[in-house]
Amino acid sequence: MSIAAAAPARFAFGTRDEPGRAAWILLGPCMLYLVVFSIYPLFHSLRLSLTDLTAATGTGNFVGLANYRALLVDPQFWNATWNSAILVTCSVAVQVVLGVALAVFFNLHLRGAWIVRGILLLPMLMTPIVVGVMWRALLNPDWGVIDWAIKAVGLSPPDWLGSVEMARVTVVLVDCWQWTPFVFMIVFARLQALPQEVFEAAQVDGAGPFVTFRRITLPMLMPAIVFATVFRAVDAFRSFDLIYGLSYGGPARSTTTLSFFAFQNGFQFQNYGYAAASSYMMLLILAVGTTILLKYVQLRPGTSR
Amino acid sequence: MDEKTKIGLSAQGVTRRDLMQVAAAMGIAGAFGGLGFSRPALAADFDWKKHAGTKLNILMTGDENDHRALGDMLDQFRQDTGMELEITSPALGALIEKTLQNLKADRSSFELIEYLGFLTTQQVGAGYYEQLNAYIDDPSKTPPDWDIADFLPPAMRNVGIFDMATGTLGKGNDIYGIPGLHSGSVIYFYRKDLFEAAGLKPAATWEEFKDAAVKLNTDDVAGCSFIGANDFSLAAVDWYTRFITTGGKLMSGTPKEKNFKPNVNSPEGIGALQMLIDLLPYAPKNVTKYGFAENVDGFSTGKIAQMIFWSTIAGPILNGENSMVADKTGTAPVPAKPGETARAIQGGWGMGIPKNIDPAKKDAAWLALTWMTSKAFNKFEVEKYQIDASRTSAFTDPDLVAKLPYLPDALKAASTAEIIPTSLIPEFFQLNDVMNVEFNAALIGTQDAKTACEKVQTQWEAMLRKAGHLA
Repeated sequence: MSIAAAAPARFAFGTRDEPGRAAWILLGPCMLYLVVFSIYPLFHSLRLSLTDLTAATGTGNFVGLANYRALLVDPQFWNATWNSAILVTCSVAVQVVLGVALAVFFNLHLRGAWIVRGILLLPMLMTPIVVGVMWRALLNPDWGVIDWAIKAVGLSPPDWLGSVEMARVTVVLVDCWQWTPFVFMIVFARLQALPQEVFEAAQVDGAGPFVTFRRITLPMLMPAIVFATVFRAVDAFRSFDLIYGLSYGGPARSTTTLSFFAFQNGFQFQNYGYAAASSYMMLLILAVGTTILLKYVQLRPGTSR
Repeated sequence: MDEKTKIGLSAQGVTRRDLMQVAAAMGIAGAFGGLGFSRPALAADFDWKKHAGTKLNILMTGDENDHRALGDMLDQFRQDTGMELEITSPALGALIEKTLQNLKADRSSFELIEYLGFLTTQQVGAGYYEQLNAYIDDPSKTPPDWDIADFLPPAMRNVGIFDMATGTLGKGNDIYGIPGLHSGSVIYFYRKDLFEAAGLKPAATWEEFKDAAVKLNTDDVAGCSFIGANDFSLAAVDWYTRFITTGGKLMSGTPKEKNFKPNVNSPEGIGALQMLIDLLPYAPKNVTKYGFAENVDGFSTGKIAQMIFWSTIAGPILNGENSMVADKTGTAPVPAKPGETARAIQGGWGMGIPKNIDPAKKDAAWLALTWMTSKAFNKFEVEKYQIDASRTSAFTDPDLVAKLPYLPDALKAASTAEIIPTSLIPEFFQLNDVMNVEFNAALIGTQDAKTACEKVQTQWEAMLRKAGHLA
């Protein structure tokens, strides 16, 4: 195609500074969709967070930052923040370690590994609410199959969802059961794409398996690990449906996450203004946390990006 | 308000249309009779088809069996009235949300809405529902055998009557909702065989309840059970019943006078929670995780000797198809401290017509409402699903009592049931949640009864102040 023939197309789409009609036609529907379903609700909920709207009042009065001030002194909000932080830290750490280990293991290409690999991915295909309800049933102390199996071998099953400490552990375990395959999948895909020449050179230089993994494999996997970590951290922080199905935030609010806290205030207690404010606080914490995480990872020397 | 008069078919001239209606009704009754339940019979001298062709939408709970009962009878409804009825039945949280959206909209999509009794103040008190007195008093709009006096008075006060001038539930004569599709309270369930074998009588006092729990507790059967999980009924059923039947008074003052003060940390409040803690050694090992379903499962599989519970579970427990102890289970009023009346919380639902529906459909909505809150429909619901009745006639129907022997006890409980005072304010669920969390924490051993009650007291006072109910 000659330059002259290409000119009309450039004219139709315009330039970055002056978009043409075709650009508006193509982008218009997407922009409209974004405005209606993302930007408007975002601003509407921001406005809501500045009101005292409840089911009782019906119409919300503007209260400025009162909801945010109330949140900062609400022990339940901080309890939910703490629970979310525990869930994110513990579950993401376990998932990354296990996911990387599994990826390296499956990269050995053992016979029949593809079957196990397929089965391994099944949990992440399930809806979290189903996972929550399913595990609640499996861990039922009266008729759950897991407790039954533990008792069958003469052991005493832990109080999975009945004690404050154990309930937190259980939520982390179930989250790891579902999402470790996701980390595995991301890291394994990256592992498959690594250039073999580097490993061959290392072999020639006499590097052992541990040194090869630490000095070559791991640095080259970092982009995938960072992506999986950030994605999972954000996802775990927003965790709601798993909590709803598994523990309903209990016992004694020990597994109430920020999302569940917002849900309770909004849809159980109909404190819409307060619930909106807690959602915005959650967004703020998430934005700050993600920025710090990305900044930290970027600054690490030797990171392959 | 006019007293409604019962008028039988024979008292009026019978038209060809009446005969056809009756014939059709008999045919369908025969068909349903084969399935083991009766169909609602029509008042034949009333024009049921005056709104034929109208399409109505109803929003109702999907957590209980009301929607199933109504769904079973949709064809019947269509034949009787000529109207179409679309049922939407989400779970409670979504129901509340959807209800409020519709009540606040310019035009409600639902001509009929079922609301939880605990939310009457929030929804009816806010003026969202049509006043129904004019409909009830108009014989051209209300079937002659509908009989409003047949509804249980506590249920009527809980969901139907509201004084808008003072914002008081259950006061005055203005009616905004009709009890339905079911009401209910709490009764005492016990294993007759175990009690007889141990030479015990059903517990009439809380001391007797604990004594029986101690004596009947074995490795296979727990001496008692209760809602121990962080569940709505921990506070509303197990704690509240013990609290009021030992002389406790939950609230002092009134929201209107801004002196609505809780008494959760009173000796009765702490005592009621302590009773539950003291029962832990005789309850199922995991009772602190027991909600509604776990207790029903436990009792109906023979693993629990006694418990107090919503009378609505009598159906699953006394139904031989679902329960291993159907013929071994007895019922009685809840225990109480000597000198106190055996009574418990008033539960149940109400049904109303939003003010903001299409005005042309209001009469049709009322007609549909009378159809689904009729004596016959209530009997059908109780018979098929053992749903708690909202009409005295269903509780005392000889056929039903013969089949469902718990009904007299359920009627006693329903007749003495008490509206929980916190349902007088819209923050009811939030207050209940705080109590469930703290009491559950006491049951799992992270705090004692006194600390839990003090924490609830402090949090409730803060919430009531914030909401303007306590100065």
